[in-house]
Amino acid sequence: MFDLSVIVNNFAFLVVQGLLGFGGFSGGTLRLAIPAIVLGFFLGIFIGIARLARSWWISLPATLYVEFFRGVPLVMVIFWIWFIIPQLLRFPIPEYGVALTAFVIFEAAYFGEIVRAGIQSVPRGQVEAATALGLTRPQSMRFVVLPQAIRNMVPSLVTQMIVLFKDTSLASIIGYVDLTKAAQIVNNREIRPFELYLFIAVVYFVCTYSMSRIAARFEHRLA
Amino acid sequence: MRRLLAALFALGFVAVAAPALAETTLEKISGTGVLTVGTRRGSPPFGFVSKTNEWVGFSIDLVEQAIKPAIEKKLGKVIKVELKESTPATRIPLLTSNQVDLIAETMTDTRARRDSVDFSLTYFVTGAQFLVKKGSAIHGIQDIVGRRVAAQQGSTNAKIIRERVPTAELREFPDQPAAFQALAQGQVQAYTNDGIQLAGLKAKAPRPAEWEIVGDFYSYEPFGMAMRKNESDFRAVVNNGLMEAIESGQYFELYEKWFGPKGEVPYPLAPENKRFLLMQVVPK
Amino acid sequence: MRYAFHWEVLWSGQSGRWLLQGLATTVELSALGWVLAAALGIVSGAMRTVPWRPLRALATVYVEFFRNVPLLVWMFFWYFGVPPLLPEAIREWLFRHGAEFWAGTFALGVYHGARMSEVIRGGIQAIPRTQFEAAVAMGLTTFQAYRLVIVPIALRLSIPPATNESLNLLKNSSVALTISVAELTFQTRQIEAYTARALEALTAGTVIYLVLCVGIAAIMARVEHRFAIPGLIARGG
Repeated sequence: MFDLSVIVNNFAFLVVQGLLGFGGFSGGTLRLAIPAIVLGFFLGIFIGIARLARSWWISLPATLYVEFFRGVPLVMVIFWIWFIIPQLLRFPIPEYGVALTAFVIFEAAYFGEIVRAGIQSVPRGQVEAATALGLTRPQSMRFVVLPQAIRNMVPSLVTQMIVLFKDTSLASIIGYVDLTKAAQIVNNREIRPFELYLFIAVVYFVCTYSMSRIAARFEHRLA
Repeated sequence: MRRLLAALFALGFVAVAAPALAETTLEKISGTGVLTVGTRRGSPPFGFVSKTNEWVGFSIDLVEQAIKPAIEKKLGKVIKVELKESTPATRIPLLTSNQVDLIAETMTDTRARRDSVDFSLTYFVTGAQFLVKKGSAIHGIQDIVGRRVAAQQGSTNAKIIRERVPTAELREFPDQPAAFQALAQGQVQAYTNDGIQLAGLKAKAPRPAEWEIVGDFYSYEPFGMAMRKNESDFRAVVNNGLMEAIESGQYFELYEKWFGPKGEVPYPLAPENKRFLLMQVVPK
Repeated sequence: MRYAFHWEVLWSGQSGRWLLQGLATTVELSALGWVLAAALGIVSGAMRTVPWRPLRALATVYVEFFRNVPLLVWMFFWYFGVPPLLPEAIREWLFRHGAEFWAGTFALGVYHGARMSEVIRGGIQAIPRTQFEAAVAMGLTTFQAYRLVIVPIALRLSIPPATNESLNLLKNSSVALTISVAELTFQTRQIEAYTARALEALTAGTVIYLVLCVGIAAIMARVEHRFAIPGLIARGG
């Protein structure tokens, strides 16, 4: 009944192609997740700061951005990017580009909210003190507020990163050969869904759980 | 902050301004040196992932050996073929959004679809049937009333079943593998698709003897390669490629490779189908 | 952009009916999934804070395993992986009664239950420990203390994050299209496939999701205001 040979025989394809992204297909969970996390977070910082800007013409677009992307499913955003960007540019985008753009744009809205909450958690007195010391607004943001805010944000940031990591499985919908798609491809041939899906569940678990463990240690050091 | 905004505006401007430089598909291929083709990953033997995890199939070979040389001859330069995955639900949007230049898979040429895309000449002829577990009570379209039948979302078969047997419980899946999976586990009692695709599925299944293809063709499914509308230059090149392959016999060699007695999915070419293919070839 | 919009495809032919059916399925799927997620979340969230180790461990295993694996994988797992393991009779019954819908509901509920659990646990941990001690001192058993004191307060505290999580559940219900549940995203693709008008169909789907999510968020903001516990926490903004 339970047949592990399907995992053993396709282990290289699942891990090397699916998880890492080396092989004949455009794919790889890690190859997508890591840049998406980094870029999404940086875009998120700008959006979070923009939401708190004093001028409405900066804060309003940022607010609309956040509300919009938090109001639609990621699957929809992926379809939008997939069908619309090439229409605008008139040339095809590789699946990798579609997926990365969709994740960065979508997740930046969530990271933006975390950054905003983090900044708001810094006591007002800190900014006032920085101003009194002669720092300009951008300087006080960069040297005083953000470092403290980031420390407060760490737990929710890590949670969001894990969410993003798991969300990359949706890139399989557009034919990107990530871990999920690799399992699907093997399954189409072998018809062993239970073993295959359980196996990739374990792989995802190992990745995300170790992410949260490392983060917990890091948090402990910061506290 | 202001610099960021300026950059954003610039980016937006580029995005809006770019499409003004509308170019034809041939110009685009010439410019990029790449022909992007949408094909299947789970429809043996037209397009599928082999045991060694390579993307292969009859449609892919046709593009590589018939269409690509024709385009290269026309443009006078070497081009590269890039494959992308398409499914019945995504192939037309993929074409119209410029994500691919050509759909070469198991797409049926229909009059309704000709409203949105253009087709090459017909390169394969088949009809819809049912795949069932051996010994099933379903023997054709007359038996599916009240039964759970799987189909691919956006396929011609799904549309026909919906119209002709509205009492069948139709379950539509994004792609063929998921639909077959559902059949394999009894989630549905039959899976309907073009006969040749069912033959491909059966041949590639882990235990082919467990499956049976039943029923007469309840539809006519001529496969064509699809292109964006109103690109007659490009279409002429694609058609020339296909005609040359049929005329030179290369098409039939490929047919033998995939559908011959020693091929992946043995499926002899009916004499009338062969004549039909040959008659589509117009004089030089 | 050389794209001529044809918005009429959204109400001509079957499109309008498909969209409404999709909306109904999305709401149904999300509502049932939410009930399951809320129940699992409250029970396991509470269990993670009780002073009895085996219960805590059990809840931790559930939460960590289910929330650390993508929902899409769970969808495939529940739909394709589990039925072959069920007894014949149950399996047949399920297949006859919309197995894809139930697999989707289950996947959504169990996955979001694990995430909801974290929200509830956060709510419980925000309650001063003395509340629990006081409840026990008044003669309540641990179970009673949780049922009558801790959980009700925690629920009121968790309304804002729980709302967010519920909206995530609603949006994530779109993943069920991969197992043939005819929900809203599935139907927008159906319109795409039949009319070849991708942008119009996607716009329709996007607007419906936006209206749903923004609407629910607005209602919950009022609920939150009504149920906020005066003086217990200072909530900014």
